[in-house]
Parts: sequence; structure tokens; C-alpha cells
Amino acid sequence: MVTAVYALPFYLLGLWKRVFLYCGLILQSVYIIYRGLHLGRLPLVGPHDTLIFLSAAMVAFSIPFNRGTKGDPALSRGISFTAMVLTASGILWQPHNAPLPPVLKTLWFELHVVLAFFSYALFGIGAALGVFSLRQKDAFREALQYRAIFIGYCLFSLSMILGGIWAYLAWGTYWLWTPKELWTSIVWLFYTLYLHARLVQGWSGRPLASLGIFGFFVVMFTYLGVSLFMKSSHTF
Amino acid sequence: MAGRAVIEFFVSLKTSLWLLCLVIVLLLSGAFIMPGEKAFQSIHSMPLLDWMRQQPVKSTWWLWASMGLLIVLAANTLLCSIDSIAKKRKITQWMLLISPQIVHIGFLFMLIAHLSSAVGGFKTFAVGAEGTSLAMPDNSVLQIKGISISLDSYGYLYDWAVDVEYRDNGQVLKKERILPNKPVFLKGVGVYVKDLRAFPNKMVLLEVSREPGAIWALVGGILFMTGTIALLVLKMKRDEIQRQP
Repeated sequence: MVTAVYALPFYLLGLWKRVFLYCGLILQSVYIIYRGLHLGRLPLVGPHDTLIFLSAAMVAFSIPFNRGTKGDPALSRGISFTAMVLTASGILWQPHNAPLPPVLKTLWFELHVVLAFFSYALFGIGAALGVFSLRQKDAFREALQYRAIFIGYCLFSLSMILGGIWAYLAWGTYWLWTPKELWTSIVWLFYTLYLHARLVQGWSGRPLASLGIFGFFVVMFTYLGVSLFMKSSHTF
Repeated sequence: MAGRAVIEFFVSLKTSLWLLCLVIVLLLSGAFIMPGEKAFQSIHSMPLLDWMRQQPVKSTWWLWASMGLLIVLAANTLLCSIDSIAKKRKITQWMLLISPQIVHIGFLFMLIAHLSSAVGGFKTFAVGAEGTSLAMPDNSVLQIKGISISLDSYGYLYDWAVDVEYRDNGQVLKKERILPNKPVFLKGVGVYVKDLRAFPNKMVLLEVSREPGAIWALVGGILFMTGTIALLVLKMKRDEIQRQP
């Protein structure tokens, strides 16, 4: 837990110099690996582990996009701030150390969850790039936003498919009608809308960048809001 | 003239966008209705369409409306794909032309999967102890031969296994072991362990179900991912080429 706390000041300093952001990522990665080894499983159950994993994934995936922005620190600052908020929120929750029920001990579950959080991270990067493209009226950042969201969409779709295979093997159906699944379909349809909107005149440009930003709020509600406020099989 | 207008409406990408917006709004409504309505507690007890027919429309209107819109969206997807191939068939990068259509076909397969399961699914539950025999839909008999439950030192359920035997006219058809994430199947009907009890007697809650859409969903998922990944790679390559001086 201390290692995760130590990442916070590095993310704060990351607002100033990008190198500190990467130091924070290294510390968080060490913490995630340590927890994984300690628990003997992927540490991806409960808000503590998932929030810390999400912030680390967001920083890691931002590296190639930072390169793409050619030295402009705006993206890394935005990611530093988001990583700081996510890590601080994660630390507020107690880590889930209890053994997993047998149904969760499968590679399908692990892949499903890891890919979902990778996609959330990319949707977050897409939202940050959308903010900068709106502020600077920059078509290049908009193109980067599209790329981040497209890769995120790919991973999110794969996560849903793997989740469906797992659900079929575990519960006899690839689709359960619960609030979490419903919100997941909303996220998927929303980003389907985003990807298609780029091809239509009048939707591309500012409306598209705004859609990419708004999408991340839908993602965060699907991830945290549904789990905390609605009864679902995915509840923490 | 009217026919042409209908076709133009269906092959328009703007139609797809507005349909997607409407489906999102309907599902959002459902997401807020569902947790507050008791009716939804029984949604997994039978095929979706049978369940929807039995429930009051005030609870399910958004599901009916979503289903209707998805049918229109399916027609729109199919016609958009045909139109796209017809218009761009002479372009040299045929992979760039074909990849989105593979994605669309994958999506249509997934819709068929949901429809198929909603109409032709089957589900029933049974509680049994070791030695209990259950009649299966194909008139064979499933006998529970053994229930093994492992608890760790803290009392948490660590692992379990249920040994079963399929019999027909007294003859053993096959012996199987149900494990976590490993159900058993006979003639497309799956047997799943939903719950177990270790004390006072070992008991198991079994679900016997058939999900006819599962194979369609799997094929759809594979097609969808193949097309999406191909499209992503091609677009990234194209962007790299365009960026080179």
C-alpha cells in the first residue's frame, strides 16, 4: 500500500516534468506486481486494485501518445492529474485480499477484466486528447483522439466477447440482463456512434471531440457508478 | 419515388447515427427502470421473449422499442454494407473495403444470436443430493454420483466438483465431471452448477439450459474482431504513409 501512496507525489510532480510521471508508473507497477505475487492471482478485484491498475494503464498507454504530441506537455499533465485522482481514490478503499470464488479462477475472467481496464484507460486518453483538440482547435490531436478511442474500442469489444465466453461456461448464458451489462452495451454503442460519426459531415470536428470527452464520463459511471449504486452481478 | 426515398433512408450513415442515438437513449431509460422494478428479478428464469410477453408494458416498453430499433438498425447495416461494396468495388485496397463489412456481418450475427436465444432458449433448475436422478429434456436421465466441496482454512469455498452420469434405458451413456467454468453438455443441453451446500448434507443446485444463440454469438464475435483489428491496422498503416514526407 505504501508503494502506491509513494506514487502520488510523483504524479503531482508529473504536472511539472514528464519524467516524474514515469517514475510514478514504475512505483505503481511494482505495487501491482507485488500484490499479484502476494495474492497468487491478478490483483483486479475491488475498487482499490482496479483504480490503481486503471491509473497505471492510463499512464503506460499515454507514452506513445505523448511522443505523438511532439513535446507538448499538455497531455502528460492531464494524464498526471487523472492518475493522481484515480490513485488517491484507490488508496481510500480497502484492498480485497479474500480468496476468489472458484468461478473467478479462470483465464477468461482475467483477460476480460484486464482488457476492459486497458480500454477504459485508452478512452480516458481519448477524452484528454479531445479536451486539448477543443482548446487548441487542432486536427492532429483530434486524429490522435480517434486512434486512442479506436484501439480502446477494439480492446473493449474483445473484453465483451471474452466475458461472454466466460459467462457461457460459468452460468450457461453469454448475456445476463443486469444494470452492468446494460451500461456496458451503452458504452459500446456510444463508441460505435463515435467511430461512425467521424465519417459524417457536420458530426466530425468539435462535436466528435466532445463525444469522445463525454464518453469517458459514461465509462466511469459504468465502471464505478453502476458497481456502487446499482445491484448487479458485477458489483464489487 | 417513395421507394427510392426509403432506400436512401436505409443506406444513409446519418440514419445509422440517429438509430444508435435512439437505442442508447432507450437503454439508458432501461438502465434506470431495471434496478427499481421487481419484475426484472425473474428475467433470467425463461427465454427473454416469453418473459417480456408476461410482464407489464410499463416495465418492458424500452426493451420492445430497443428490439424494434435494432431490427431497423440491422436492415440499415446490411444495406449500408451492400451500398458501400457496390460504390467502392473498383478501389485497389480491397481489404480496406471489406474489413468494415466483416465487422457489420459480425454485428448482424450477434443480433441473430440474441434473437435466437430470446426465442428458442430453454432453462430449468433442480436441487439434488448424491444419488439423485433427474429427467433431462431428451428423456435421458442425469444421476448425481458425487459432490466434492473443498473449503480453505478460513472456511471459504476453494473448489468443487460434481460427478454425474447420463443414462438412457438403464444404459450409461457417459460419465462426466462438472467443474467451475466447465459445464457438461449432451445434445446441446448444458448442465451447470449454480450453487452448492456442504452442511448438513451435500446438496447442489443445477441449471439445465440450452442457449441456441451461443454459437451465433461466437461466430459473430470472431468476425467482428477480425474485421475490427484488420481495419485498425490498415488505418494505422495508411496514416503512417500519409505522414511520411
